[in-house]
This record gives sequence, C-alpha cells and structure tokens, in this order.
Amino acid sequence: MDSVDATEHYDTTIQGVPPSLLVIVLDTNPHAWALLSPTLPLSKAIANILVFINAHLAANHANQVAVVASHCHRAVWLYPRAPSSSEDVEMTDQTPPDLNDANKYRPFALIEDSLLASLRDLIATTTEDDIATTNTTQMAGALTLALSYINRATVNFSDADSSSKTASTAIENPENTSSLQSRILVVSVSGDLAHQYIPIMNTTFAAQRLRVPIDILKLAGDTVFLQQASDTTKGIYMQLSNPQGLLQYLMMAFLPDQTSRKHLVPPTQQVVDFRAACFCHRRVVDVGFVCSICLSIFCSPPEGAICLTCSTHLALGDYGAKPAVVARKKKKKRRINGAMETPSGSATPAPVE
Amino acid sequence: MSLPSLSSREYLERLPGTTFRRLYQQPSTALAIFRRMLPHLAKTFAMALLYMTKPLPLADLDLWVRPGSKRQRDEALSLLNRLHMVTITAPSRDDPQAVSLTKAFSSSLRLALTGGGDHQSFGVPANDLETANVDVQFLDDFARAQWEGILHYIVSNVGDGMRQAGEGPTAGVKQLLEAGHMVTRQKRSGGGITQAGFSFLLQEVNAQVWTLLLLWIENAEKMGMDSVEVLSFLFMLGSLELGRAYSTTILTASQKEMLTHLVDFGLAYIPPSTPNQFFPTRLATTLTSDASALRSVAAGFDNALSAGAGTAGFIIIETNYRLYAYTSSPLQIAVLSLFTKLTTRYPNMVSGRITRESIYRAISHGITSEQVISYLSTHAHPQLLKVATAKGAPVLPPTVVDQIRLWQIENERMKATPGFLFKDFESQKEYDGCVKYADEIGVLVWKNDGKRMFFVNRMEQLRDYIKSRKVK
Repeated sequence: MDSVDATEHYDTTIQGVPPSLLVIVLDTNPHAWALLSPTLPLSKAIANILVFINAHLAANHANQVAVVASHCHRAVWLYPRAPSSSEDVEMTDQTPPDLNDANKYRPFALIEDSLLASLRDLIATTTEDDIATTNTTQMAGALTLALSYINRATVNFSDADSSSKTASTAIENPENTSSLQSRILVVSVSGDLAHQYIPIMNTTFAAQRLRVPIDILKLAGDTVFLQQASDTTKGIYMQLSNPQGLLQYLMMAFLPDQTSRKHLVPPTQQVVDFRAACFCHRRVVDVGFVCSICLSIFCSPPEGAICLTCSTHLALGDYGAKPAVVARKKKKKRRINGAMETPSGSATPAPVE
Repeated sequence: MSLPSLSSREYLERLPGTTFRRLYQQPSTALAIFRRMLPHLAKTFAMALLYMTKPLPLADLDLWVRPGSKRQRDEALSLLNRLHMVTITAPSRDDPQAVSLTKAFSSSLRLALTGGGDHQSFGVPANDLETANVDVQFLDDFARAQWEGILHYIVSNVGDGMRQAGEGPTAGVKQLLEAGHMVTRQKRSGGGITQAGFSFLLQEVNAQVWTLLLLWIENAEKMGMDSVEVLSFLFMLGSLELGRAYSTTILTASQKEMLTHLVDFGLAYIPPSTPNQFFPTRLATTLTSDASALRSVAAGFDNALSAGAGTAGFIIIETNYRLYAYTSSPLQIAVLSLFTKLTTRYPNMVSGRITRESIYRAISHGITSEQVISYLSTHAHPQLLKVATAKGAPVLPPTVVDQIRLWQIENERMKATPGFLFKDFESQKEYDGCVKYADEIGVLVWKNDGKRMFFVNRMEQLRDYIKSRKVK
C-alpha cells in the first residue's frame, strides 16, 4: 500500500539527462606551443582534444560542442566556422571533401574536418609580424565569444524546447533541469595575462551569473586570473605536471558535465591566488592602492592623486611612495606623524572633501 | 531512467556474454549501446576508464564519487557489469578489487571515437547520384504512413468504429503482431487487441519501434537468423544520417533480408529505381538517441506522428479530472478513449473526463494505472510542462495521479515481484550487512528484521557480496 502515497513518484517526470554544451577555448599562442613542443606538440594535443570532443558527443545525442581559438592577436572560431561573408548569411556547413568514410561516425568526422581546416587557415594567415609583436594570447576575447555563443545556444534551445517559454527565463534559471547545461573548458598554455585583467574578470563574473563553470586545463605557464575565474565559477582548475597524459586528464576530470559532477568529487586546487592586477601598469600586485570611489586598483598613487578611471581627486594623506606593508612598530611611528588616525584606513586614499 | 530504454535494455541483459563479445566487435554497436543503454554516471565511468592503462581499484573509484551518491555508483557499476562492459576482479585477500573495461568493448569504443580501422560499421554511403524526390520530408511522410498503418491496425480492433480505410500493414507485420500477442484473431468480447497491444500503444514512438523490433528479432532467431548480425545492423542504422542514401553492398544476406522488413515498418526506404540503395528514416536514425534528445533536438518523432498538431504534447488535464486533447488524429482519439470518457469532439480538440468507470474499463482491458499515467505525462501539453517547471511542481495534478492509482488498487490488492528470498542468516550482523548492501544497490524489495529474512529482485551482485564476506 505504501506505493500509493509515495511522493517520490512525482519526480518521475524528469526524464533523462539534459544535454550539455561544451565550449572549448584553445590557446593557440605560437610562442607557448613552441616551448611546449618537446613534450606535447600542438598536433598531438589537438588529436587528444578531438577524441575528447567525440567522447563528449558520444555521451548524448543532443550534446553540442564549439571551439574557439585564442590566438596571438585575435580570437577565432574553429568550430562551428564563422560565416564567411556578411553576418546575415546563414551558416553553411559546406564541407566538400570526401567524408564518406564508413569507418567513422559521420558527426565526428564532420567536426574533425571542420576544426582542422579552420585551424590550418588560422595558422596559414598568421604572419611573422603577428608573432613578433606579441607573446600573449587573446584569452579575454575568446572567453567573450564563448559566453555569447552559450547565451545564443541557450536561447535557441529553450525556443526549440517549447515555443511558449520565454528565453529570458531560461537564462535566469540555469538550474532548471530541462535547459541546456553549458560549460567552458580553457586549454591554456600562455603565462602572464595581466594586461587583460579587467576583461577577464568581467567575463568571469558574467559566467558566474549565467552559472557557466569555467574549467581550466593548464598545460604550461601560470596565470593568476584563470585560477580566479575557475574558482569563482566553481569550475575545475588543473595544472598538468606531465602533459603527455593529456587525454586521460581530459577524460577523467573534464568530461563529466554538471549532471554527473553532482555525484563526483571534483579535483580541487588547494591555494587560489587572489591577487589583482593594477589598472595603471597591469602589474600583479600583492598590496596596492584602491580608489575609494570606483575601486580601481593602482600599484602606486596615481599622478596628482587623481584616479585614472573616474578622475576623482583623492586625498593621500601624507602617504609616501611605499605601500602600507609595514611592521607594527613602524605604524605607530607613522601615526604620530600622520594626519590619518585609523591605521587600517591609511592604505586607502580618501576623496578630497 | 526513461521508459523506452528499459525494454531494449532488458532484452540485451538477457543475452549471453559471448553474444556481447561479438556485438562489441562493431564500433558502431559499442557506441550505440554506450549512448543508449547507460545511465549518465555509468557513461562517465566508462569514459574515465577508457584510456586507463591499468585496472582502477574500486577503492579509488569510491574516493572519486561523493559519499552521498553511493547508490548511483553501485547502480552504474552493476549495469556496466550486466552489459559486459566492465570486468571487476574477484575479491581476494591479496589484491583489492579493481575494475576495467572489457577488451572487446574498450577497443571498439576507442575505434569509434578516433575513427580508423576497417570495420565499415557506420554505413557505406552510396556514391551514385541521389534520386531527386527523396528528401527528408518525403522520408518522414513515408515513415509516418507506414507506422500509423501498423498502429491503426492494432487500434482498429478495439471496435469503436475507428477502422481506417487505409490498406494497413503487410501480411508479415500482421503475423508478427499476432505472434507477439498484440492482437488476436479470435474476436471475443474485448476485441482483438490484447494487454500487450495496449501497453504497446501507450508507449512513446521510440519505445514502440524497439518493442516491435525486439519482437521481430526473437522471431528471426527462430527462422535461423543470427541475432548478433541483426542487432549490429540496427545499431548501425542508429548512427546513419537522415536524408542520405546508403549502399546495401556490404550487408550480409540476412541483413538484406531484414532490410525488406524494415521497409514494412517504415524504418528504411528503398527507392524503386535503385534497389541497391536505402535511405534510413527518422524512425531509424533516432533509434539510439534517448528520450531527452528526442523531445528537443531531434524534433521528437511524435511531431511527425501526431499529424496536424505542431507540438509533441497535446493533452491538458485539470485537477477536476477533465481532459482536453488538442488532436484530430483518429489514432490518438482511439487511444484516449481507452481510458477516458470522451464527451465532445471539436475540429481540433476532444474533451472528456477521467472517471472511475473509464479507468475500470481500461484496467479490465489489462492497462495498468502506471501506463495511463505515463501516457498522460509523456503527451502532456507544453503549457502543462511550462507551468510545472515554473512552479517546480509535477506535470500532472497529483490528485488525479493518486486517484488513478487508487482506482486500480481498489481491485488489485496483490502485486507479484519475481525474485529471491534470503533467510537463515547465522548472525544478526551478517543479516544487517547483507540487507544494507541489498538496499544500497537498489534490489531490496521487502525485509523482516525479526525473522531475519529479506527479499530481493536481483541477486547476482548480492551473491558475490556474500561470497566476498565469506572470504573475509
């Protein structure tokens, strides 16, 4: 009889698993890959990532994938390929080469073909000047592309799912079990990204709001901000000690989507570097000056005590050039000289009147 | 888990291990079974194990899974084991238990993911010029016509005057339906349709296709066809692309013969001008996708079937047991009339009530309350779904669902569950351990702590567990 009022039967309407969208941001910085080539050449990494993409698509018929390259001067779509001419043109999946290989699942073959073709295009169009002028990568731009794609895919999905449901509700309730589950995987090889501090943090907060986890797979180098991005969005951060085992790391740690992550213990980072970059010289700072009006960060007091971002006149007190990392004893001395009475507030320039 | 995968999965689980080994020879089959039959967590496990060089100790796997999800872990592992995808080493004193993918499965799945090899299992496209009149729309129409023909044939025996003037399915299909006890020739009071026929009608299309195919496979075995060949062909069909022509040249003789039957079912289309080509229809290409994919991306086949209605769901049911169905399809109306007291018919809608009498009538035909409820919820109108997701409430009104169950229980006081009784435990501790384990792997049906007895519906894992306790 107890099966009559067993209320868990009401939950049976949730059938199956929601499909998931995986956006891979591939760092194609030529400098970094050149350094990495003895252990893990780009071609091998791409092969591993392709298997990973196939595994993701194999898990569910409705799973989707998109790949963005974060190149040295620009962020480029690798899959799906960007429309060739004007933006009004419908995306055409024109793949003339022979894909009639019966030994490969056709969707897999299509993606592989398209991804490799656009990657070759990208490399072919990269001039020596491009490489010579910079040694970093357009990570912020790539993340932005990824987020806008996710947004569009979510809207499309909820439209297709039920025409009556408005798109906005789907975006605001990503916890909704029937909507598309999206996540971003950044395969990063470059180091310092300090000059993109603000755009990266902005995309991070946007992702946090959309509840899109940003997973970071670090093959080489170390960036503070990607760590923070994955920490804020509850993604996975992993620094590979030996990049040869890339595929196994991908399959084990990064393949589970949000649905299975509920059941799994994610690999975590013990220490998250929460340092920020200053707005004036893009340096990563431990201690800096913060504008009390707009919260901009500076490594040293700006020229004439005028905030570079909001142009507010700030009172520095009698503050010297050195930031306030001072021992307790010294602090006492300063207080005698200084006009500021609160020791903790002394590091923050206050606006004039 | 969704309903449709159950029937096909149960069939697969009954197959012997050697059949599996042969099935997994084909990468397309390995991929399809992986995608279609496994719960989500099991897929995650399989993928994690896929490129692992050494077997993974179970203790490590436990560390990976959150403590609260032990039940899901055990279910996933046990299913992987039953489908012969993993082998778990026997427990012993020296080595801890470890899990690894079976050789046949892992090598095929790897081939499927990477491509390569020379298995030709993803279908050889025909290189001839495609015949112009075969487009996706045509294939959908063809599949719909064939499939509705079969359904009408079953329904038309109900005797509600719904008989259609169509030509109906071929003699082979009719025989098959009779062999599967979906319909009987003897026109008794209940009409020619049986309980199996009813439950067949109430399923989703995808599940219906599977039911019919499994029936056909069982028949085919009697005719001396190899079930492995037949199954691999089906799984290959699921990996083909809609609207493309494929060549029949690499098919074996029995697969070619099967193709003619698939044309009868509406799963494939052979253009009369080029008999060595075939086009898979949407019924075939969605064979291996699961329910959520069907409803959303693959433009649910219900779409194609519920003629005229633009959406998959069309039934609105209110808390006062009134039912409104936006459909003009005689098939849907006939199905609804099995358990509803229909009162009014409009050009695009029928309305009626679910009453005690109507449910009784359904139950006397052999339809269970669960079938009615699942039919109602799978065909619920998008509006109902929208309200349900917005409020976080169930799709169907709980009062109605409960009442339908209660009406059934008024008559059925007893429910039979086949299974195994465990009793005569030596100690309370042994009993407690076994009961706890049985509960965790989700097989425990009933227990009596006083008498130290419990009842399970599946015992393979429990047997291993008790053995391993003995070893310790």
